[in-house]
Amino acid sequence: MSDEELMAQVRSGVGEMLGVLFERYHVPLFNFYRKMSGDRAVSEDLVQEVFFRILKYRHSYRVDTPFRAWMYQIARNARLDYFRKHRAEVSWEPEMSPMIAPVDTAQQSQEAVLLHAALMRISEDKREVLVLSRFQDLKYEEIAQLLGCEVNTVKTRVHRALQELRQVFHQLESGKPPGRKGSEGAWPNPGSVQ
Amino acid sequence: MNCEAIGELLPDYLQGRLSPELAREVEEHLTGCPMCGEEAALWKNLALLPEEQPSPALQTRFKAMLESYQEGRWEKSSLAAEKQKTPTPMLWGLGNWRRMPVAGVAWACVFLICGFFIGRNSGVTKPSPDSDARITQMQSELAATRQLVALSMLQQQSASQRLEGVSWSTRLQQPDPKVLDALFHTLRFDNSVDVRLASLDALSRYAGRPEVRSELVNALQAKQSPLVQIALIDLLVDMHDQNAMPQLKRFQQDPKIDPNVRKHVDWGIDQLN
Repeated sequence: MSDEELMAQVRSGVGEMLGVLFERYHVPLFNFYRKMSGDRAVSEDLVQEVFFRILKYRHSYRVDTPFRAWMYQIARNARLDYFRKHRAEVSWEPEMSPMIAPVDTAQQSQEAVLLHAALMRISEDKREVLVLSRFQDLKYEEIAQLLGCEVNTVKTRVHRALQELRQVFHQLESGKPPGRKGSEGAWPNPGSVQ
Repeated sequence: MNCEAIGELLPDYLQGRLSPELAREVEEHLTGCPMCGEEAALWKNLALLPEEQPSPALQTRFKAMLESYQEGRWEKSSLAAEKQKTPTPMLWGLGNWRRMPVAGVAWACVFLICGFFIGRNSGVTKPSPDSDARITQMQSELAATRQLVALSMLQQQSASQRLEGVSWSTRLQQPDPKVLDALFHTLRFDNSVDVRLASLDALSRYAGRPEVRSELVNALQAKQSPLVQIALIDLLVDMHDQNAMPQLKRFQQDPKIDPNVRKHVDWGIDQLN
């Protein structure tokens, strides 16, 4: 059964169908929050919040519209609300959450650790498009709908995000203290659109 | 094709959405240009970041939420939460007396007392021959209402409400056997030691009545909390009732009682002798 059919049932009061949607999406949503914000406990709280809101605002879901875009809209809002509320106490540092590296080869795991650290250091709007397109498998059109912008803006942002990721990655790799989050670093960037 | 043009195509290339011809052109550029090549490699390498699993607690919490939704509690709890936004502390329970009988009874009581005083102080009516009879009737109605309040409050879920129930019972001049029964039941079985102690205190007011005395003597059981046992021993000593002696001695022999309580019961038996 498609997501949309399931959600239509949830909307009409068949609560257990939400369980199927939970099975499909709680891990991706958890990883979305993990890669956006880091902290495990906060990420779990936010996933719970998303499903609570789906139930609470089920009547606002328009039948036959893409469920995923609607769900990620809720997920984004939940995250924004959370950080608005907890701005003072939550200032996340990448060091707070060491990534569990895959155990293929030593070099690969080293690269994964660096890559994760770099991802956490790029600016948030760029990180968001990368996470949504790369890890959540959202199409650029879906992301554009989600962010309320043009598809081309999303594509440009993906490209800029990769550029910034490359710079920060190099800084970390060469052991230099990384620049501030989102700053255009000291590294030359001939690939960028001038 | 230069880097700028590739930059525009790269996102679509990475999601595999270019035509084969354009894709080939991009690939050619990527092998020749280290910068763009690295960016494409980074995209691929992001797959190295592992997919993480949330803790099982998340599943449990979700199930609990869904269950509460399916049992209809969810709607009610959210409705209740919304209602709390507009508090009406002065009129607590007045509007929904149907759902809260205790509040209803309490309010009835308040109105009855108000009516009584307004009527008495208005001074318009001359004392008529049957006014005394009416006052007596009102007083007996008031007593009945108090009894009702005490009885219903003793059955409440929250310990503080049961405590209030116990204190209502002390306002009765002539306690009804039903109220006494309820107080004894509370003394023996209430979950809260505080409520049990309060009910013992309330019962001590009626210690002059033989049926209350004998029940109090019987209430001294090994299964009770030590605090209640000590309070009961004190009360029995205060009553100077020799009929309590056999029960005290039986209690003294019970192997299960607390050593401190045993000392106290020894003292109690000395006092009574």
